[in-house]
Amino acid sequence: MMWRALSADWLKIRGKGIWFLAFLGPVGLIAMQGLNFGLRYDYLRAQYQADWWGGLIDNIIPFVPIALYLGGTLICSLIANVEHQTSSWKQLLALPISRTAVFMAKLLLCLLLLAVSCLLLSAGTVLLGLLLGFGDQPIPYADVLRIGFAAYAAAMPVIALQLWLSLSYRNQTLPVSLGMTLSLVSMFAVYLTEWMPLSWPTLALSAERPWLFSGAGLLLGLLVLLPGALHFARKDVD
Amino acid sequence: MKDTVIETKNLLKEYRGRAAVKELNLNIGKGEIYGFLGPNGAGKTTTIRMLLGLIKPTSGRIEIFGQELRRNRLQILRKVGSLVESPSYYGHLSALDNLEAIRRILDVPKSRIAEVLDIVSLTGEEKRPVKGFSLGMKQRLGIAAALLGSPELLILDEPTNGLDPSGIQEIRSLIKRLPGEEGITVLVSSHLLSEIEQMAGTVGIIREGQMVYQDTIAHLQEQAAGNLSLAVSEPEAALMTAVRRGCGGELQEGRLILPRMSDARVSLLVKELVEDGHAIYRVEEHRQSLEEFFLQVVGGGAL
Repeated sequence: MMWRALSADWLKIRGKGIWFLAFLGPVGLIAMQGLNFGLRYDYLRAQYQADWWGGLIDNIIPFVPIALYLGGTLICSLIANVEHQTSSWKQLLALPISRTAVFMAKLLLCLLLLAVSCLLLSAGTVLLGLLLGFGDQPIPYADVLRIGFAAYAAAMPVIALQLWLSLSYRNQTLPVSLGMTLSLVSMFAVYLTEWMPLSWPTLALSAERPWLFSGAGLLLGLLVLLPGALHFARKDVD
Repeated sequence: MKDTVIETKNLLKEYRGRAAVKELNLNIGKGEIYGFLGPNGAGKTTTIRMLLGLIKPTSGRIEIFGQELRRNRLQILRKVGSLVESPSYYGHLSALDNLEAIRRILDVPKSRIAEVLDIVSLTGEEKRPVKGFSLGMKQRLGIAAALLGSPELLILDEPTNGLDPSGIQEIRSLIKRLPGEEGITVLVSSHLLSEIEQMAGTVGIIREGQMVYQDTIAHLQEQAAGNLSLAVSEPEAALMTAVRRGCGGELQEGRLILPRMSDARVSLLVKELVEDGHAIYRVEEHRQSLEEFFLQVVGGGAL
């Protein structure tokens, strides 16, 4: 049942700029590093002589958590808005499909789009490295994949929360501004305490035991999903 | 006794202590066109949303096709098509894609899309983005979406709201066709008595969340009978003729006002007046408006 809802959602997000956004994030990050390395190529090449790829990855990593938070916020909001805009909820939820399936389909769609972004980021990193002539050193594929996906898993609590809020409120001002605020706060959260979930994406990329934070993110994400799905399944639709 | 399709018992919905719908007992038989009538804010949409499981009743029972709604929601909704208030559509998609998005959830054959487009006469327009459609076309698309799953019960909330006369006419004839052709039961709501009158066989009137009247439209017409107004060249003499024929009546502003009567009697009276040499300028029937009818219902306590 969820797959049917997902295939319908797949159709509905056409031409809404959602795919564009999913592409824009990683392409923007890579373009920024292209500029960074392009402008001071000789300097950086010399500085990272021992490990070019590591140097490139270290330069990309600081921007990944905030990009994920912002991207997640906007994608959740845009997906929800497809239904909010012409009050299609009443039509959709009066169809013979369970509300949980509708909720899970939206979640899956959102996760899928972000996964595409993460993959693009990894692919873009490899491409940029090769263009910069780092091909002489072996490509650290595992590390390259980790840039996107480790942080992605750790960002799950916020993504789950944003999806819940975006689906609940017709007016997207609150969910979007909250998402923006969380993104900005996340830049400083890492200086506070590692118990703060907002800092987990950063820690998942740079801490000593990064997998711990990715795992914690996935778990807390599931915990946030439960009340979200429950609320969505029970609320009155108007 | 006809099969009952929708039955509600003591349905109650409260918002912050204020009852939007209370003690509502609906009873809709199979193959009927049921007109659900009431002024804006009377609780029509709230009731319909409850019937579709979009909102939960505070208390009371809903049975559709003889099954409890709360427990068998998906099973019931499979046989129900609905259009709730303003049309729902995805403006950036074509009519075809709008229906396809719903079809994927309903899991009906693709050929059904062409069929429903044909039923609502939107064939030829299906490739255009829906945001460019007129309100009437959007409303028809909504009905097409409601018909997509070949429902046995069609629930239409204010399907003619905001349409121009020709749009209203189209939707009306479409709705009237359905029970005959496809054996569908239709629940249609409106705030216009004249609208319901032309479509429905049975009517339920709701006021401030309570059902104040539920009976056949023929019975309603007798209850809400209006009068006949004749503009003639010599009203006084015409009145005499009318009284002599036992039609009763009175003069108001130079017009002859007669109580409601059968078509045959009207034609006889008019014939006699013409033969007496009266010139007849107008024969008009005045119906009570819904508001007047309500006032009567409120004033009289009950019908």
